Amino acid sequence: MGQGVLVAWVWLAAATFVAGCAWRAWRYRRAPVHLRWDLYPVAHEPAARRAYGGSRLEDPEYWTRGGRRSLAGELEAVLAEAVLFRGVWRNNRRVFWASLPFHWGLYLLVATSGLLAASSMLAASSWAIGLARLSGIAGGLLVAAGALGLLALRTADPGLKRYSSPLDRLNLGAFAAVGGLGAAVALRPGGMEAVSRAVGALLAFRSPEAPALVAAHMALAGLVLFYFPFTRMVHFFAKYFLYHDVRWDDRAVVAGSAMERRLRGALDFGISWSADHVGNGRTWREVAADGRAREERRQ
Amino acid sequence: MSPRGTTFASAREADAFMDEHQGLDVDALLPLPHPYDDWRDTAIRPLTEDQRGRYEAGPDGVSALRLPRPSGEDERSRAVAGFLAGLQKLLSAEDNWTFLQPLMLSLENCVQCHTCSDSCPIYTAAGRPEAYRPSFRPEVLRKIVDRYLKPGGSLFPGLRGLDVKVDWAQLVRLAELSYRCTLCRRCAQACPMGVDNALVTREIRKLFSQELGIHMPELHEAGTVKQLETGSSTGLNPAGLRDIVEFAEEDIAEKVGRAVKIPIDLAGAEYLVLHNAGEFLSWPENLQAFAIVLGEAGVSWTLSSELIGYDSVNYGLFYDDVQYARIAARHHAAGRKLGVKKLLIGECGHAHKAIMAVAERLVPAEARVPAESALVLLEDLLASGRVKVDPSRNDFPVTLHDPCNITRSLGIVRPQREVLRRVAPRFREMEPHGVDNFCCGGGSGFAVNSSLNFPDWRVRVAGRVKFRQILEAFAGEPAGGGKKYVCAPCSNCKGQIRDLLEYYQAGERAGIGYGGLVELVANAMVSVPEGFLAQ
Repeated sequence: MGQGVLVAWVWLAAATFVAGCAWRAWRYRRAPVHLRWDLYPVAHEPAARRAYGGSRLEDPEYWTRGGRRSLAGELEAVLAEAVLFRGVWRNNRRVFWASLPFHWGLYLLVATSGLLAASSMLAASSWAIGLARLSGIAGGLLVAAGALGLLALRTADPGLKRYSSPLDRLNLGAFAAVGGLGAAVALRPGGMEAVSRAVGALLAFRSPEAPALVAAHMALAGLVLFYFPFTRMVHFFAKYFLYHDVRWDDRAVVAGSAMERRLRGALDFGISWSADHVGNGRTWREVAADGRAREERRQ
Repeated sequence: MSPRGTTFASAREADAFMDEHQGLDVDALLPLPHPYDDWRDTAIRPLTEDQRGRYEAGPDGVSALRLPRPSGEDERSRAVAGFLAGLQKLLSAEDNWTFLQPLMLSLENCVQCHTCSDSCPIYTAAGRPEAYRPSFRPEVLRKIVDRYLKPGGSLFPGLRGLDVKVDWAQLVRLAELSYRCTLCRRCAQACPMGVDNALVTREIRKLFSQELGIHMPELHEAGTVKQLETGSSTGLNPAGLRDIVEFAEEDIAEKVGRAVKIPIDLAGAEYLVLHNAGEFLSWPENLQAFAIVLGEAGVSWTLSSELIGYDSVNYGLFYDDVQYARIAARHHAAGRKLGVKKLLIGECGHAHKAIMAVAERLVPAEARVPAESALVLLEDLLASGRVKVDPSRNDFPVTLHDPCNITRSLGIVRPQREVLRRVAPRFREMEPHGVDNFCCGGGSGFAVNSSLNFPDWRVRVAGRVKFRQILEAFAGEPAGGGKKYVCAPCSNCKGQIRDLLEYYQAGERAGIGYGGLVELVANAMVSVPEGFLAQ
């Protein structure tokens, strides 16, 4: 691959990643307000209630009291899931031992990329490169080990194997290669300096003239970035919606609020379900009102 | 019971599998503790030859739907086309605004890590058969969406794991398997992503119902349709309600030695009490206990004789948004008509969720009435001293079953425990409990399905973990001595626990009985002669 092509490829991959993720997030965000489907414990309940999963519905006339929301509770829950993988630790210990290093490694590789971008723009960049080397080695090894662990589970465990496609396994292999190559680059004398120069060139739309190992790493990382938004890996941001917009969404409908306006609008949506009892061609409002009992119809 | 691949690659393979596995292996079921060490389950009855000739069954040989076999290829093809059309509607903002966002999120972000698997009491009780894994049904639907609805879906299906074929056999499996999940949502609670495979299962039910008219007859024809037609899923009409109330008042007078009024259509009352009408017929002592407690406390309350206004049931919650919306609107309308300040939801789990939470975003503000849980009011009446109790009246072991729709779906956990602490000195928790509870196995309409071989499956498999929990809660108590009480503040849960105790002969073998919460309160009331529960 010529290195001019590498510039174009990495930029195309990055743009696809950003646009693809933004598109998917926009789809989730623009979806109509749904009916309540919260699930307890809800993290923003006050600590005393959160401890056992209680809600404001435990109070007499709860609708007159307003809801107290604990931001600290949400932060604690988010950090426990995103950093400590509490749910996997509690319910799936085998996957935990592969998933935790894999994700921690990814966090470190993202940090490494930031440090390298900073180092390419700073005059005195040795500290950034030094840090990037450390995080690059640790991150690369953790990603590679985690991805290989997950690959082993998806190959050897009969349950997981049955639900894993060849593409899933290729994807884990690609992550293992990205991590392994990243660690190899960081371990080579002068490797991170070369990456820093290459990143600077990429940011300036210049040919990076990078060593073969660095170029291979960038090309492969670009491939992963390119297809990432079209996979289930977008859970890294979709989790926000799954928790905040569904699981913890206990918002009351306030008169005159934007939510109320959206809900009233939804009642005027057309309905085209075909089963006899639905009676299609009308709006939700009309169909819901058609719940008259036999005796009422006679009147 | 473990087919190759996730989706039974061909109908032939699935048929062969079904022939081979007529019925689950009951020896693989979760073992039960003492005094059931020597317990041997009887087999789940296979469908008779006549039934198999008429009805389709799931891959486990069980039929929840009594789905008629199609008459020919035309009918099968129409069903497949209808299913795919319905799937498109399920993913449209207009036709499915009610749950589109959670559905999209849960369809697109499950990574199949199987963290949810062991949270499912049906999957674990049955010996972990693949078809019961909580992520199995949703994964079949995901593959169908990716293969049939998304651009390029037929490209490299093997590489992408889209080994799925939509044919009649696939529809039967999906429809039946959507009724091997009680929608208890323990799997959703375990999922680190927040994916809700129970919601996807409900959406599958909804697609079949709203597009193809395929539903569990007990939920639809004998459930929501009957309720909309006659006023109650039990078939109870307003005249019947008045008879029941009259009888209940006579019964109360005999029990407590004084007249206690059960008001009907009292305009301007503080509370319109909404009971599951199943209580009136199967557990009238629940209605009576509420009347005694509310009467003593001087609460202003009433029942409604308005059609649907006297039955809190809304089975639409389990399978169909259209039917759900129709009934939810009527519940609130009954309250508006009487001009009450609040709706009070009696001991019915799904009614709590349907009326207190889900309806909030469906019934416009001007048509809604605020709704409160009876468990909360009972706690308040006891804490404030408006109802005087002598807890020694309930000097027997009591444990609490948490209805999923009250705890996990609404976060109402503490009030019922506070009530029990005041009226049941020998109360002990099941483990796990509260929002981590296990479903009774009768959830999402299972408790009212008593057709073909589904009840066999329901008590042996769906309720197995709950029964084990009940036994464990009473471990240490003499097996045969005295009565032990499983408190289940939910009509459907009570129905399921009744059937569990009967199948496992728990009355005879372990002295275990069951009932609601308010009955324990009435039994402990100082002003009520001793023995309310025994009568």
